[in-house]
Amino acid sequence: MIRLYLLLFAQFFNIGVFSFGGGYATIPFLYDIAQKYNWFTVKQLTDMLAISSITPGPVGVNMATFAGFSTSGILGAAIATSAIVLPSFIFVTIVSKILDKFESNIYVKNIVASLKPAGCALLSAVGIKLLFTSNLHLIGLIILATFVIASFKKKFDPLFYLGVSAIIGISLGYLNLIGI
Amino acid sequence: MDKTFFSVFKTFFKIGLLLLGGGYVILPLLQSELVDKKKWITSDELVQYYAISTSLPGIIAANTAIFTGRKLLKTKGAIAALLGVILPAFIAIILLASIFNEIVRYNFVKYMFWGVGIGVITLLFLAVAEMWKKCIVDKFSVAVYTSCVLLALLTDMSPAIIVIFAVVLGIVHAVFFNKKQEQKYD
Repeated sequence: MIRLYLLLFAQFFNIGVFSFGGGYATIPFLYDIAQKYNWFTVKQLTDMLAISSITPGPVGVNMATFAGFSTSGILGAAIATSAIVLPSFIFVTIVSKILDKFESNIYVKNIVASLKPAGCALLSAVGIKLLFTSNLHLIGLIILATFVIASFKKKFDPLFYLGVSAIIGISLGYLNLIGI
Repeated sequence: MDKTFFSVFKTFFKIGLLLLGGGYVILPLLQSELVDKKKWITSDELVQYYAISTSLPGIIAANTAIFTGRKLLKTKGAIAALLGVILPAFIAIILLASIFNEIVRYNFVKYMFWGVGIGVITLLFLAVAEMWKKCIVDKFSVAVYTSCVLLALLTDMSPAIIVIFAVVLGIVHAVFFNKKQEQKYD
């Protein structure tokens, strides 16, 4: 049990140290965890994503809490959640102390300029992988394409996409069109 | 309102409750609570904290909360702000997770999650599009993006290794960039 707690802590601390680019940047790491350990499946990860988009708080915290809780209850949730924010605490404390130096240094500037596209790349890769592993069928792909095209015209609230796709899923499900 | 551990915690708890759809809305929320209503910090300070927070690893909303909390009450403020902003998220998930395993067995819920899965992938691609605008700005960023995407798709490399790879690319670029500038002045 202690070994599991340590492993949980190490995995989520790792996310806190290496995820650049905000809440969604944690997803590639969680995807990696889903494949390596049997804490949760990729399918559960998608469900977790849906849940964390409609609950308060940063997605990364939601994910850590959920993963920790489904692995080993409230204590697991507390461990995973503390582990994911502890690096933030350390980094921000250090950086706010050397703030002046930080911004003008050419190495730091270049590393930051390189980390942002890397974060974007990691997220793109997860999107593509999910596209192939989720059981979407042609009908799901058509809905996805419609959403993306619609977003060019007008930006909707995240809740809109989730709400509409939930209703579509329920309707198609009862019409026996999605084969689950 | 005085700046005490409890008042900072309460303010950030309120912000945490309103953080729907990810941490991206933390900036406007902090602006309205801390700058406009309480006048604890200035708008300039807030934007600077946010910019640095986005380039640090970790959850941006947590980074920003810690930065702002530090400014208000040093380490005590940082702890109060961090606890405040993550506690609503923590409680909400614990409450939902306890019923989650039971409710996913129903057909209704299965169908709903199948549909929501599409919505989630849509949000992922929209987040990529949003990040793309801010991150892909020159030839260097295109090169970093392309190499990282290929590594992530074609190999089993862990994301952490890919991030370290990007750091190395940044350093190499900095060295190269420095040389070019020196040559200019020769």
